[in-house]
Amino acid sequence: MSTATATRPSDPSAPDEAPPAPTWNRTRIENLLIRNAMALVLLLVIGYFSYKSIRFATLPNLRTILIAAAPFALVALGQTLVILTGGIDLSVGSIIAISAMTGAKLVVARPEYLWLAVAAAIGVGLIAGLINGLIISRLNVAPFVATLGMLTAASGFAYVIGGGAPINGLPNEYGKIANTDILGLRAPVLIMIAGFLILGVVMKRTAFGLRIYAVGGNRTAAEVAGVNTRRTLTSVYALSGALAGLSGVILSSRVISGPPNLGSGYELYAIAAVVIGGASLMGGRGTVWGTLMGLLLIQTLNNGLDILVVPAYWQKVISGVLIVSAVAVDMWANRRATT
Amino acid sequence: MAATPALEVRDLQKSFGGVPVLSGVSLSLFPGQVTGLAGENGAGKSTLMKIATGQLHQDGGEVLIDGEVVSHADPILVRKLGVAIVPQELAPYPDLMVYENLFVGRELRGRAGLLDRRAMVVQARSMLSELGVDVDPTTRMNRLSVALTQIVEIAKATTWGAKVLCLDEPTSSIPDREVERLYAVVRKLKQQGVAMLYTTHRMAEIQELADQVVVLRDGRLELDCPLADTSEDGIVRAMIGRDLGSLFPQLTPASEEVGLKVRGLQLERGGPKVDITVNKGEILGLGGLVGAGRTEILEALFGIRRSVDGAVEAAGRAVPRNAPAQAIHRGLALVPEDRKGAGLVLERSVLDNGSLPHLSSFSIGGWIQARKRRTAVGLAMKSVSLRARGLDQTVGTLSGGNQQKVVLARWLTQTAHVLLLDEPTRGVDVGARGEIYTIIRDLAASGLAVLLVSSDMPELIGLSHRVLVVRAGGLAGELRRDDLDRDDAQEKIFRLASGQPTDVSAESPLPDSAAAEPGHSLDHPQRSSS
Repeated sequence: MSTATATRPSDPSAPDEAPPAPTWNRTRIENLLIRNAMALVLLLVIGYFSYKSIRFATLPNLRTILIAAAPFALVALGQTLVILTGGIDLSVGSIIAISAMTGAKLVVARPEYLWLAVAAAIGVGLIAGLINGLIISRLNVAPFVATLGMLTAASGFAYVIGGGAPINGLPNEYGKIANTDILGLRAPVLIMIAGFLILGVVMKRTAFGLRIYAVGGNRTAAEVAGVNTRRTLTSVYALSGALAGLSGVILSSRVISGPPNLGSGYELYAIAAVVIGGASLMGGRGTVWGTLMGLLLIQTLNNGLDILVVPAYWQKVISGVLIVSAVAVDMWANRRATT
Repeated sequence: MAATPALEVRDLQKSFGGVPVLSGVSLSLFPGQVTGLAGENGAGKSTLMKIATGQLHQDGGEVLIDGEVVSHADPILVRKLGVAIVPQELAPYPDLMVYENLFVGRELRGRAGLLDRRAMVVQARSMLSELGVDVDPTTRMNRLSVALTQIVEIAKATTWGAKVLCLDEPTSSIPDREVERLYAVVRKLKQQGVAMLYTTHRMAEIQELADQVVVLRDGRLELDCPLADTSEDGIVRAMIGRDLGSLFPQLTPASEEVGLKVRGLQLERGGPKVDITVNKGEILGLGGLVGAGRTEILEALFGIRRSVDGAVEAAGRAVPRNAPAQAIHRGLALVPEDRKGAGLVLERSVLDNGSLPHLSSFSIGGWIQARKRRTAVGLAMKSVSLRARGLDQTVGTLSGGNQQKVVLARWLTQTAHVLLLDEPTRGVDVGARGEIYTIIRDLAASGLAVLLVSSDMPELIGLSHRVLVVRAGGLAGELRRDDLDRDDAQEKIFRLASGQPTDVSAESPLPDSAAAEPGHSLDHPQRSSS
């Protein structure tokens, strides 16, 4: 710094020399650990469960965790994009239900058009999300309010479709959707992996991804830079709805029926996964990979506590405490990293 | 000086992420003395104040209050010891009353622990009148002008019993005409024996108020002497480390070709129609009072503010109204007044911010072509000699001047025809300001038509080929270059802007505002919009 001052007439806050080459000293390692605090927490949790039970760290159990994670993962992916724009999508739980009910109803009526029913189920999710997006971007209704309305209304619709009861008598083929193995992996797990890879690339490499970050970081500035912020917002909610629809298909295929309360409470799990993953509810900060981390943490916890035969009610207490602690650790680590 | 300093710092060291911000700064504040603290953005002024008031902990050195070492950074303890800060970004409670703002955190309670509002109002009134301010304590905070808000914040700090007051750029958002009111309060406090550390960019303020002048540059103390022992030039030299020279570059002549043509632009039905023609290479200044509608004209041209009628042409091609993406496509570029609020996505990198306006030209089918984008943004940033660690540096960590360069340069990745500048040097320090003027001049010289809105009179007069004065959304008059070179240019602009000079004090919402001095300032007390 001191040698450079003479040649730098102004703007001391922004040095133009290159940063020194990185060396493996203690601060660097410390910083690295702090930056990846959440991965560390996950490793600790995994280590603890592996130590307590030989059944935890096995390949079949990993499969179980991933299979359980898949429907959450799709919803959490959509939620990640929504939260990156500074919004929130409370309606995904009900969208799962309304999509599942639509798919079930259609496939029971015309079993020969199985894939058309699946497409219709996802389409219903897309449309519900599109309505969310249009209300939020065109009518300037706060996302919390708009999607809370959709949560209630879509849930009502789900019961209307089934006449107040679950839809049964689905063909066996429908049940195979979520239970087929491809390349040794269950189809929903493959969809989950593909979803993370695709959206990971989209957020990093496409104009759409950058616009999402820009809208969430500073909507006015994005508008001044010519970004069509309304369109960006609408697409994000529509995408979240479609992913919830896909999740609805997977869940209803798993139980080979259409219960109208399917997916209830998923929205909060999805939000928790995103926030544990380091995203800011104010928008503009967060990554798809963070969400994956948060999701795996929640799922690993649930699975591990099951294996240790912790009573279900205590599991809830422990999960709640650990979710908040994990985010608190992350916040603390972030503060350490910036000061 | 034999007296014990009210506040003293010795050999302060502080770095952020390995970058030193303060290196060995020592200074003393004495009761009843105003110390003017000058330095460019990033020189370490705010950090110094934060350490002095316990908001940050120093890496080395010590802070002494009344001769006693403060062992650890604790804002509440420091405030108890009598050191208060009035930050640059005020944080009043806009929907609460003035007296409520004054008493937040130490409310007066009556019997049964309920709030004793009457006592608070009475006490607030005497507090304010002691400072010579005539404000009714039961006014809502958001009804006050920025200057009065500032004064109420100062009153709040001093009535907590502050013996040392740190004022961080108190006038940065106050129009010149109201600055006197703040000066009066500072002088009152000085008489009462309060020691003050007063940060400012403005030379005139230091001359007016300071007893002692301290200048920081790159985290080092460059100057610490009584005001009488130095000159304005000396202070500026200490601030920027060289002589200032002329701030405004020589203008190059404009071409005969039309760059921007606006015919009958109307923002609302029944509103005034605006005709503007800017030639290629010409810098056309828009003068007027704050709130006269200059920003609105720029925003309407760019399409982010709705207009109802009119025709806009850039370089001979029609620009659709109310469609910012189309306007960008036709070569219009806007540098908004509120850089942080409307110009940049602070958490993203220079690269991301730099590529946002012309994103589609770096992507095929939505895929960003990484190398093409990096090259184009890199070139644009180089053309304004941006000082950053690299294109991946987060924009929020750049200094004000460099942020402004990013906002400017991001339009240069593609051919731009028209540059719309709204207060381009607000919050930019002296050194970077000259640089930005040169960039603007060079851009004009390269054939852009530039429309410049500025409330800074020397800037408007020094940088423009021609000035149009806006009043109530319409055009009130024009000054050509030879008019601008005359001594009465400021006065003439002011007279056009206000209709007639006497109108201005009547418009002012302040009960006892000083009558407007013609040619002194173009600022309207309410600075919320322009």
